[in-house]
Amino acid sequence: MDESPGLSDQYRKASPWPVFVALGLPLSEIGLVFDLFPIAVGGLLLFCGSIVGLLLESEYASTVWKPLVVMSGLLGVFGGLLIFADGTTDVTLLTRAYATFAAAIVMALGVVAGKLFVPKRGIPT
Amino acid sequence: MAINAQIALTVFMGVLLIAVIAWLTRIEDWRSYSASAGGVVSQGERSEYIEQEKPAGIVRWLTTVDHKDIGILYGAYGLFAFAVGGLMVAAMRIELATPNTTFIEPAVYNSLLTSHGITMLFLFGTPIIAAFANYLVPLIIGADDMAFPRINAIAFWLLPPSAIMIWAGFFAQPLGLGFGPAQTAWTMYTPLSAGVGNDPAGGAGIDLMLLGLHLSGVAATMGAINFIATIFTQRDENVSWANLDIFSWTILTQSGLILFAFPLLGSALLMLLADRNFGTTFFLTDGGNMLWQHLFWFFGHPEVYILVLPMMGIVSYVLPRFAGRKLFGFKFVVYSTLAIGVLSFGVWAHHMFATGMDPRLRASFMAVSLAIAIPSAVKTFNWITTLWNGRLRLTTPMLFCIGFVSNFIIGGVTGVFLASIPVDLVLHDTYYVVGHFHYIVMGAIAFAGFAGIYYWFPLVTRRMYQATLGKAHFALSFIGTNITFFAMILLGYGGMPRRYATYLPQFFTLNAIATVGAMILLVGQIIFVWNLVTSWLGGKRIESGDPWNLKEDGVHTVEWQWLDRRIETALTDGGDEEPIADGGEVRTDGGTESDDN
Repeated sequence: MDESPGLSDQYRKASPWPVFVALGLPLSEIGLVFDLFPIAVGGLLLFCGSIVGLLLESEYASTVWKPLVVMSGLLGVFGGLLIFADGTTDVTLLTRAYATFAAAIVMALGVVAGKLFVPKRGIPT
Repeated sequence: MAINAQIALTVFMGVLLIAVIAWLTRIEDWRSYSASAGGVVSQGERSEYIEQEKPAGIVRWLTTVDHKDIGILYGAYGLFAFAVGGLMVAAMRIELATPNTTFIEPAVYNSLLTSHGITMLFLFGTPIIAAFANYLVPLIIGADDMAFPRINAIAFWLLPPSAIMIWAGFFAQPLGLGFGPAQTAWTMYTPLSAGVGNDPAGGAGIDLMLLGLHLSGVAATMGAINFIATIFTQRDENVSWANLDIFSWTILTQSGLILFAFPLLGSALLMLLADRNFGTTFFLTDGGNMLWQHLFWFFGHPEVYILVLPMMGIVSYVLPRFAGRKLFGFKFVVYSTLAIGVLSFGVWAHHMFATGMDPRLRASFMAVSLAIAIPSAVKTFNWITTLWNGRLRLTTPMLFCIGFVSNFIIGGVTGVFLASIPVDLVLHDTYYVVGHFHYIVMGAIAFAGFAGIYYWFPLVTRRMYQATLGKAHFALSFIGTNITFFAMILLGYGGMPRRYATYLPQFFTLNAIATVGAMILLVGQIIFVWNLVTSWLGGKRIESGDPWNLKEDGVHTVEWQWLDRRIETALTDGGDEEPIADGGEVRTDGGTESDDN
């Protein structure tokens, strides 16, 4: 008889997020490399959103807002780099930059809306 | 792009995201994040979903972060990829049964050649090792799970999209998407792969393959970090470095290799992708081709050891069990593993002896390449000495272990000759090389994989495979491997160049023999799949945690003790109900009392 079955009494053995992280990453890569604006925006949203979900679930974050702001900021910087690089190559990178900005803006708007309309809540520590 | 296509893509992405959100709200208990639904919820009673631990049916497999479930997923995925890669090469060998083009066009042959290599190395080899490691390492070292269970799940789920992207060209062509599969060979040498001219080698198919490979590299790196963290920090207090088992040692070394090799491949792939799509010229200027080869092989040669070291670990773990004794010279097997791990980063340019690189550099790479034979031989002698005067039991896993040693010797010795510059210059790019490395990848790596699958089959499924079919699988695989790849070694001596869809009539006989060997292999693998599936569904149930009678020899290792406890727990809790197979058969609820470790 196994007297001490390990952590699993409290351990959460299922998480819906990994599969979406793993779907969001290739979608955003395909969208950005092949210059497919909707795929890039959707993929980035899925990727970043799932990471936020993971952070929340594993209690590295207590609300979604801060991680979303950070993700939004990182995408903004990446988009800026793309605009900078656009001037150095014959290939146009502008729509790719706009796609990252779009994803960043959607997330930022989500944060603003969330902060305004969602009552304060969080996972107790 | 046409506006209609943009609208279609937008609608597609919108529908996808809404579907994801809808699915999440169905399966994820949002209350767990929200105090508003029921006041402050304390940990441990956050939702019913957590108490049940594992959801039912397919959702269980999509959402699991349990190392054993993920191990099974890796295994299923690896075997599927093995079947795909095997069928690809079956088509190629049928084409090579005659000197001229009869069955498939050369362009298709090139595509299959590329995809066969990449599929077997990245989509079968690495994942099947991850399958063993995921299932076993936490059990053997006494960890509750991997150090980062969710990262573990992400690493697995990155693989299906990467396979789809690598094979995308094969689907795209019939769908009329305007590109075909890559025809670059798995080495993706520039300038062919850099899209110079009208990009005849695959177009967007190459881009997708590069992205897919990059993803699989990300997955492997995430897995490696996880294994390193797990083995360093999650060991039971009884498990010290001194008594860490040989399999975990090889996984640790392999993870170290992955950590240094795969990010470099990832960078090189992105540089190539940028050359193809964003106007950079990393590999398009003078010396660019050499740069690609250096970067590729700096990853590519350690990749061989990434694949072979854990498989050697399996052989070192399983072979003594059926020799009735402990592994001879355990310490030296560990040292040789570490030595191979370090040396493997100093041999890459032996793939490039014929490129015209500096002869002084060439000589140093020859020296290290010859030196790496020493730790490999240390292992081989230790396996042989373990067998010496042992009480041998020729079960199917044992047969595959012995087959491994035998094939590894032939593959290894033919490799030592290739490490010598003058011999290499004669044999470079001939079928000798193909024969040599297939003795290692099929004859050794796949054989050890089979040994592991048969050995731990009862642990995972609580059922026994059909022994006669297992032995038939071994016999056909061993005979098939040796016929096919020995014929290739002879073809190489005869001067037949590799990678061609057609050949001169003088090579007909040996090619026909190689094709016959490949067909024998194919029949063997069909038996293997049949055996696995039917035994999993309806094989004889095992009654104790010692299906191999290991207790007799005092080598009843920890994973079997764990199985013993589980069977006992299941019997205590469930009376004479059928014990729960670990994700094996028709269980709608994966989370029960006995499924908790």
